[in-house]
Amino acid sequence: MKLTTSVLELDLSEVEKRIKRFIKEYVENAGAAGIVLGLSGGIDSATTAAISSLAIGGKGVIGLMLPEEETYSFKDIEDAKIVAKKFGLKTKICDITPVLEGFYKTIPIFDKADKLCKGNIKARTRMICLYYYANKLNKIVCGSSDKSETMMGYFTKWGDVAADISPLMDLYKTQVRALAKHIGIPTELAEKPSTPALWPNQFAETELGIKYETLDLILYGLERFMTTEEIAQQIGVKKPLIEKVKDRWLSTEHKRRLPLAPKIEYRTVGTDFRLPRHKY
Amino acid sequence: MKKKIKLALAQISSKREDKKENLRKIEEFIIKAKEQGVDLVIFPELSLTGYVLHDQVYELAEVVPGPSTKRIEELAKRTGMHIIFGMPELSEKTEATIFNTAVFIGPTGFIGKFRKMYLPTHSVFEEKRYFRPGYQIVAFNTAIGNIGLIICYDLFFPEVCRLTRLKGAELIVCISASPAIRKDYFEILTAARALENTVFLVYVNLSGVEEGLQFWGGSRLVSPTGDLMAKAKYDEEDLVICEVDYSDMRPAEAFIPTLRDLRPELFDELKRQSETL
Repeated sequence: MKLTTSVLELDLSEVEKRIKRFIKEYVENAGAAGIVLGLSGGIDSATTAAISSLAIGGKGVIGLMLPEEETYSFKDIEDAKIVAKKFGLKTKICDITPVLEGFYKTIPIFDKADKLCKGNIKARTRMICLYYYANKLNKIVCGSSDKSETMMGYFTKWGDVAADISPLMDLYKTQVRALAKHIGIPTELAEKPSTPALWPNQFAETELGIKYETLDLILYGLERFMTTEEIAQQIGVKKPLIEKVKDRWLSTEHKRRLPLAPKIEYRTVGTDFRLPRHKY
Repeated sequence: MKKKIKLALAQISSKREDKKENLRKIEEFIIKAKEQGVDLVIFPELSLTGYVLHDQVYELAEVVPGPSTKRIEELAKRTGMHIIFGMPELSEKTEATIFNTAVFIGPTGFIGKFRKMYLPTHSVFEEKRYFRPGYQIVAFNTAIGNIGLIICYDLFFPEVCRLTRLKGAELIVCISASPAIRKDYFEILTAARALENTVFLVYVNLSGVEEGLQFWGGSRLVSPTGDLMAKAKYDEEDLVICEVDYSDMRPAEAFIPTLRDLRPELFDELKRQSETL
């Protein structure tokens, strides 16, 4: 296999069709009144919002904008509104700043200098708001996580990744960008740098230490059981960088699973209790 | 024996774990097929229960013949049609040994069954965790021709179709539950298996979505020269009526004489080599 950017190319019409069918069938089978999703103004949530609206109609989709003081971005709010207008979904704004301040005051060991722990509170607070809307309005929560970030464990456990369905989770970031353009997301937004918005000026590529174009090729190779040597040779990147990516991928598997339980009884939740997710 | 028969490719989506609803849908499609003078109506793999069952398969499996096949027998008698469908089959001799089975029923009752020989256990598939493989190739001599049965992944192993053909099958029925990511493979293999054996091959796939697996439909009838004679819609439920004319087999066999040119000694070598892979 020749590991070039062409391996990440997809039949985008087919992908669009598959994702729309997946969303529509799930919402119908769940008997849900539609979808609620976090609309940050970033590429993943914009694409999820757009394709959800194409699948079930914009009237059934609520894009929840969840800004907070520290990372507030007028541009992000405007970008989110552009997508909402274009694809006909409803939007709501919930400023989570007061809730966050409540957490900061309530937690005795709260350390404002610890950016990561503090940022995770933001992601989990957003999750709580999304699930409130879903419960109250009989909707499902639609996640926006892509495959690159999910494989890297670049998300908050039980936070931004928490959802009932994740329609983009089998697409690498560069594939999400291509799909976004294909379904009509403006190019400027499709190419916008990703940020989890946990603290000011946080950018995914800077934090991960790698460009998505390179990361996606490495992950694509690892997904297909290629060795780090083979990948390094094929894409002309030094082996330690590939090993770092591989290590991060393997060491974060716990974030992608249910909590581990000791094996004591006949069938164990999360291990060998294998049941269909739903009765339908 | 009829020289020409009419088939119905009943490409349904099943409701998982709901045999009652699936039997209702099977009956609905049978009645529609009957209105068009069909001799044989074919439903997909595990169409009685749905495909993604996991541990629930232990609750859903039944002996064959058994309660569900009796319901189909009644329908076959009432309509005078032959019916093939898929279900999890519980062994009569054990409590939790299950097969992935194709059941064949005619107007006079139960004809026979085929237990899937190759159980995919890779990627999204986990069939070996639940099913015991079958060991018998089948071809049933019936009033509508000599009909062999195989299931889905069996199509990837040319020896299954070859043996079915050598047992006398003129029409090989492959029932399937294939997700969209495998579509291209099946489109190639259905044509190849028909052509290399100069046999009619009918493929009937599930449609619908089960746990993120999107079954692609695309059921089809392929002629003994590998030509696509009928094709159902992709992704959606469909009922396609088509015709098999067994008199097409002679010119096909004479033009592509793969059966005449078979080399039995190679099969001994195949056995030896596969034992030492």
